[in-house]
Amino acid sequence: MNLLNEVLARPSVITHWGAREWNAFLPLARNARLLGRCRALFAAHDLADGVPQRVDDHLRGALTQTHYVQGQARRELRHVARCLAREGIQLMALKGLAYLVAGLPPSGWRNLSDIDLMVRRADIERAEQLLHTCGWVASGEHDTYDEHYYRDWMHEVPPLRHPARAVEVDVHHNLSPPVSRTQIDADKLWDAASEYTDEFGTRVFVLESADLLLHNAIHLFMNDELRGGLRDVVDFRDLYEHFDAAEAGFAERLVARATELGCGRALYYAARAAQRFAGLRTATEFDQALSRFAPSAPAAALMDRLTAAVFAPRRPGMKRDALAVQALFIRSHWIRMPPLMLIRHLAHKAFLSRRQRVAEGDLPG
Amino acid sequence: MTEQSLILDTGPFRVTVRSFDRTFLDTVRFFYHDGICTDPDPLVDFDIRLVRRQGARRWVRPQVQFEIDGVRPFEPQPLENAYPVYEWGLNWCIATSAHRYLMLHAGTVAFGDDAMILSGLPGSGKSTLSAALQLRGARLLCDEFGLLVPESGRLLPMPRPIPLKNTSIEAIAAFDGSAPLGPTYPKTRKGRVRHLRPSAASVALGERAATPRWLLFPRYRAGQTADLQALDRDTALHRLALNCFNYKLLGGDAFRALCDLVDQAGCYEFVFSDLNQAVACLHGLAQGEGSHEPAE
Repeated sequence: MNLLNEVLARPSVITHWGAREWNAFLPLARNARLLGRCRALFAAHDLADGVPQRVDDHLRGALTQTHYVQGQARRELRHVARCLAREGIQLMALKGLAYLVAGLPPSGWRNLSDIDLMVRRADIERAEQLLHTCGWVASGEHDTYDEHYYRDWMHEVPPLRHPARAVEVDVHHNLSPPVSRTQIDADKLWDAASEYTDEFGTRVFVLESADLLLHNAIHLFMNDELRGGLRDVVDFRDLYEHFDAAEAGFAERLVARATELGCGRALYYAARAAQRFAGLRTATEFDQALSRFAPSAPAAALMDRLTAAVFAPRRPGMKRDALAVQALFIRSHWIRMPPLMLIRHLAHKAFLSRRQRVAEGDLPG
Repeated sequence: MTEQSLILDTGPFRVTVRSFDRTFLDTVRFFYHDGICTDPDPLVDFDIRLVRRQGARRWVRPQVQFEIDGVRPFEPQPLENAYPVYEWGLNWCIATSAHRYLMLHAGTVAFGDDAMILSGLPGSGKSTLSAALQLRGARLLCDEFGLLVPESGRLLPMPRPIPLKNTSIEAIAAFDGSAPLGPTYPKTRKGRVRHLRPSAASVALGERAATPRWLLFPRYRAGQTADLQALDRDTALHRLALNCFNYKLLGGDAFRALCDLVDQAGCYEFVFSDLNQAVACLHGLAQGEGSHEPAE
């Protein structure tokens, strides 16, 4: 447990903090993109007066940035929805965007780096073509291998971006890749989803409450962008607490739905991570019901160690943790690809692709 | 070699800077000796480390890399440029996170508590002009950022070394033979760079806010006589909004803050070449001489 995990579990710890603790906390919260979340947390617990001005300036600055990006995301959604409405293609908002559309608690503080959308499998080619017609282009550079990876193995088309705007658009047709071991019947998701209409007449679907949590869990434990990890764990906690208070029998229904959709293991991992690292408190009945999805004891112990390195690093960017991140990266691919396909993919990535850094001189203006 | 650290107070920000490189730390001490934090248990905004790149290349062409929160967002640079890399990296940290302020991309100086804003794109001469004004007694707020508090409309100082580029270096050396200049960095990504240390008086008042009174858009034009022309508020607002680091991000708050700013400050275009002449002209403006009434 690092200081950020402690704050999430018990915000009042900050009343005993001095400069030393705040100095350790700031880089952790900044790196996990949870500065804005922490400001809301302190306010909700009546602790705002215990936050030093210097720290609060950072929390506040981060929230300002988040609200701006949220506005950009909503605008991009309206553009996409208008384009797809031409041919009556139904659209579902996922993850951060879904929380915004449905006005769920994370919308008060959650940052987004792109928008995630889902259309029906039968509509995805038409949706992509329409978006191209309306001006969206491939975001970043993709070689033929990347194209093949997205189209044939994953559950999405290569990321798109409109040249006039900065938001990346990811269009999916399911919550998990078609080649992975977890197969989700997307029709069941559509059947349970609710439709929202905003003040501009934009119509968009959002997953029903249990499915929102299950998607969070699937994404978290199949995702290779592990840097965003703890933020998603916090989303799980915030959504769980919200629905648990708002809907009678929610926890039971969540377990039943996980069984029905075949993603109990992901739910187990996500709930466990939220309990250990984000201060989620659940009823004993829920924990017992969940234990049926647990892996073998050695596998659970290994996973606990790996997740601790990612969700509770002592300092951001620690070398010791890099190995655990690498292991989780391979694991995330392992569960979504058959072994031979995985070996080919990782070999390709290791030899042919390089990560890009921010070029010096690109001051945002 | 052991890593050493210094804690610097620079306007509203406090920075820990860590490095193994003695030369680099000596340079930091030269520039910030009036701003070294003396608090025994300080809370800091940014914890920055300049790391020397490991590997075979370190013997042939040693390199340095900027690290914040354990993350290295930029490509490594030649070791001899460690100091400009630090200054530039700190600017990046501030520009990408200090959204508690509206950040004008401008040089800012003050006469007492009355601030003069010099807004301009790189190459307009705003750093050179800020440097020259400070060398003749104005208080340096900052040569690169105007940190505007949206609620109060006041500017916070951040008196840091001014990076003079290329021919500005000679211009300032000729303007004031005793200007406290640091080492020359002949080959940086922005050309030849040499920093001017801010005056002790500017650093001593590093927490004292100032009210914007004059908004100028300077333009260096070789051979031109200093010329100050009143500018209408709408044009001034538009130009200033386009030259902020986070105007769009602050949205309505930014718009209202800049409306207030152009309402309370006189707005001008300023063409100059000779620094003595330019400084005399701006001193005149600050002292209310001549007929430089703001445009209505």
